[in-house]
Amino acid sequence: MEVGELGILNVGAGDVKLSFDPANPAERMRAARIVKDMLRRGYALLIKVDEGGREVWRRALDFEEASCEYIIADFDPTMADRTDHVEVSVDTAIKGPEVGQDQAPAHEAGQAAGAHVRRGRGRRGIPAERTTGVAVSRTAGG
Amino acid sequence: MGSQRSEPQGSPCPGPPAADFVADFIESNANEYELFDNFAGLRNDIRRMAGKIGEYAGIPMPLDDDELVVEPSYRNAVGLIECGKHEEDPDDGDRKILVRNSFWSTSRRCWICVWEDAGKIGWTPVFENNSFYREIHTIGCSVAWGIEQEANAVQTLAGLVRHHQMKCYLLTGSFLERSQRSNLMYMFRKLRPTVVMSACDMATTRILCTLCLHPIAYYRESGAGCMAPTDDVIAHLMLMRGDEHMLWRRANQHPPWHPSSRIL
Repeated sequence: MEVGELGILNVGAGDVKLSFDPANPAERMRAARIVKDMLRRGYALLIKVDEGGREVWRRALDFEEASCEYIIADFDPTMADRTDHVEVSVDTAIKGPEVGQDQAPAHEAGQAAGAHVRRGRGRRGIPAERTTGVAVSRTAGG
Repeated sequence: MGSQRSEPQGSPCPGPPAADFVADFIESNANEYELFDNFAGLRNDIRRMAGKIGEYAGIPMPLDDDELVVEPSYRNAVGLIECGKHEEDPDDGDRKILVRNSFWSTSRRCWICVWEDAGKIGWTPVFENNSFYREIHTIGCSVAWGIEQEANAVQTLAGLVRHHQMKCYLLTGSFLERSQRSNLMYMFRKLRPTVVMSACDMATTRILCTLCLHPIAYYRESGAGCMAPTDDVIAHLMLMRGDEHMLWRRANQHPPWHPSSRIL
């Protein structure tokens, strides 16, 4: 598949391609509406993304029609480590220090550990014209 | 099923967006194989209908005497299931046999059905269809696919896997890939469930289970999905790569010793 294409597994065609060619705005707009509709119907859209020089596949959680971007979950391990470190510091301050030591307020411990860090997954957009993907409809068992 | 789907915002035309794009794509790629395929006309008509009503993944082809198992939320799932449904034998008068319980016997490799008839309790071994019957049935269901559809799917798969994997698939009907997320080894097989192995080394490799799922629908008591065989393989592969949890959540898991795993 070329860059900027989405392949849809199809009963009657085997594979149908949607193109996000920037040079063809009408086709691009039509493809964007189709992708949005597929996500609404429960299709799984698997998108190829680049993470640290490595090509991996991620499932698209949403699609921005205006900017033609797939929205995927963005889980940064280094961010998680920082989050864990802050939370351990805050927990220690809440539970109290060891016997014999002065107690410090919890918020001061959190602030001392670092700037505000949001827990949980973020999201980021992947431009549709720069990646390939495969759409799989809802599945029956077997 | 039968639910009204809301139109996307800004659609210039009534109905689902780009209703005919599937039909247009296919019409431009017609080939001579269909001259020798008696089911090509019906398949093409279903494909056009799917394009007109906005079914991007298509409509399963109903077959006589082959019951479809359809994903429940699929539009017109009830009607498709009714097509090809076997008629049940009429009841034998007033005699009623009550099935009290059933369980799988590992030693006998069959189901044990415990029944009650007029106060008398007994049991009967019920053997599942052997793999040969399934293979014959799958051949029968293959009329739902066309060579063109399978060729397109093979082309798509070629762009998703390495050369060695594609060579294995073309020569043996299966290939291996290790998950980057869970480190499990998957064997993707055509017309058979995907085998999942925990492969640490040669001495400790263990088959965990087999995973079976088909996009949209499949034909009961066969290995045939409503899509071309390689499309099923692509669905398994892409879900494994992109969302492994979803693959395990949606697939039916068969233990390796069960006939449904198609291992033994």
